Amino acid sequence: MTKIFDNISLYLSFLKASLKEMLIYRFDCIVGMISQIVTQLVEIIFIWIVFQNTDNLAGWNFMQILLLYGVTLISIGISDFCFDALYDIGPKYIRNGEFDKILLRPVHPLISIIGSSKEFTSLGYFGLGLFLTIIMLIKLSIPITIILILKIIFFSIVGAAIIGAINTIFSIASFWTYRSNEVIWSFYRMYTFAQYPLDIYNKFIRILITVILPFAFVAYYPTMNYLGMDSNMIYIAPIIMIILWVIAIKIWNFALKKYRSTGT
Amino acid sequence: MPIIEVKDLVKTYKIIEKEDGIKGYFKNLIKPKYNEITAVNGINFNIEEGELVGYIGENGAGKSTTIKMLTGLLTPTSGKVVVNGIVPNEKRIENNKNIGAVFGQKTQLWWDLPVIESFRLIKKMYKIPENEYRNNLKNFSKILDLDDLLEKQVKNLSLGQKMRCEIAATFLHNPKIVYLDEPTIGLDVFVKEKIRKFIKDINKEKKTTVVLTTHDLNDIEDVCDRIILLDKGKIIFDGEKQKFKDTYGKYVIAEFIISSKNKNVCDLNNATILEENEKSLKIKFLHDETTIVKLINEISNYCTINDIHIKEAGLEEILKEIYKGAHKC
Ligand SMILES: Nc1ncnc2c1ncn2[C@@H]1O[C@H](COP(=O)(O)OP(=O)(O)OP(=O)(O)O)[C@@H](O)[C@H]1O
Ligand SMILES: [Mg+2]
Repeated sequence: MTKIFDNISLYLSFLKASLKEMLIYRFDCIVGMISQIVTQLVEIIFIWIVFQNTDNLAGWNFMQILLLYGVTLISIGISDFCFDALYDIGPKYIRNGEFDKILLRPVHPLISIIGSSKEFTSLGYFGLGLFLTIIMLIKLSIPITIILILKIIFFSIVGAAIIGAINTIFSIASFWTYRSNEVIWSFYRMYTFAQYPLDIYNKFIRILITVILPFAFVAYYPTMNYLGMDSNMIYIAPIIMIILWVIAIKIWNFALKKYRSTGT
Repeated sequence: MPIIEVKDLVKTYKIIEKEDGIKGYFKNLIKPKYNEITAVNGINFNIEEGELVGYIGENGAGKSTTIKMLTGLLTPTSGKVVVNGIVPNEKRIENNKNIGAVFGQKTQLWWDLPVIESFRLIKKMYKIPENEYRNNLKNFSKILDLDDLLEKQVKNLSLGQKMRCEIAATFLHNPKIVYLDEPTIGLDVFVKEKIRKFIKDINKEKKTTVVLTTHDLNDIEDVCDRIILLDKGKIIFDGEKQKFKDTYGKYVIAEFIISSKNKNVCDLNNATILEENEKSLKIKFLHDETTIVKLINEISNYCTINDIHIKEAGLEEILKEIYKGAHKC
């Protein structure tokens, strides 16, 4: 148990250092944030256009879809913020031989790496997501109770952790290719499937995002719960999170061991 | 019990042999052909606590590969490494607590932060007690002259300044063993001297075991007591520095400053002529085989001797001789 606390406290120290490093690049950070928000606004306009021709998507109306969109963005914002450095393992750490210095620390390398994330621009996603979520909850006249707030906080973090675990699993590509960031990115982007009701998809995609890469537990099932649609599926999310992290760490350690025996 | 134990250690790298053209590319994809390079080929040594060991050899001899196995960064192909009772490659993180390592010019410091922030993070990572941290910081700053550097961002430091900070960072947690892989590469003589003094001082004070690889033999001359010489993955000498010199370098180099030469000195008993011109004559001989007095007698037949400089062969000359010999056969 003390080991876990040690690791968390170390992670926070690393994060604090990243924050200080980030402050040096304040300007880039703001530009990044604005461009992220613009990208998302374009997507929202696209959804709006779709709704000019129909008044529901698989039974969800425009505002409900936007709520789902907002809840997703909150988790995406948190996970990009926390796990961004996974993208750096291949192209930055391993390619420049910086990975060795991380392996020489008395800490699990994942903590060092994840702790060096400094994607503060993702606060743009987070902010936009929060804004959309609050507005839509009000527009849909869903009572914002303490319980709902706590639920949203808890399950947004769980959702972020699910995305983080999936990214961690695919980050093992770093041990074979410098372009691992693209590998992680292509799987990560599948979260966009879960920004729309599952019923619009065929069976294959549904299985993909509930079972294989369970992005549906990031926002889709939680949002159904917030909307008062059926769904106790939300309560499976934390279990999935734990299972995914156990798998992620096992796979990662295994890949690292392989990597250390080839030395390339 | 030795603090580092290495037995029959072997490391073989597998490299995919690249074939030309599109056909070769696909052939590689389906059934890659491997080339094997044995970088370390069955080495054995023990190092006791507090030893200062110079691990030397030509480029590509396998020095870095060995150090990477000692630190647990690389898994050996076969053989055994035990460091402070731990097999580094199996219990890497535990082993990391006992060691410090510098690899060339790669820095472990946080690039965008002031040096002192990196030190604080290191303190936290290794759980260095407050008073120990303060003492070390004070002491290291004095020897390595860090006072003006601590508040500067690492990316703004010169190579020499960075390296001084790097060395301090490596020793900050009082590691039992420190591996230094070419720590002085690219540094000027003053920084080199500071770093050498630092290593010696800390070794004396804390009995830190140090394994040092370098191509600057002055580092070895100044710091190390023991030399392990690696050649093509095999150890060809392991012993005290003095013994190394005795074994390989009993010869002496003498330079005669001469004038009014009447003919070329073509033949001397038991001495080799290295260089010869109108004003000077450089020769090499063994103490056992002749003496300087005999040589003076011989040479004065050819010319007038004005002055003599005599020098014991240094590590560099000795190594050159060894490599020349090794490459002949
Ligand atoms: N990751 C690797 N993959 C394949 N071959 C490698 C790898 N690392 C080193 N080698 C090869 O192994 C041999 C020993 O390399 P090593 O880096 O240990 O030498 P070294 O003694 O440190 O040399 P230097 O003085 O140049 O640093 C060399 O022939 C090198 O090409
Ligand atoms: Mg080397």
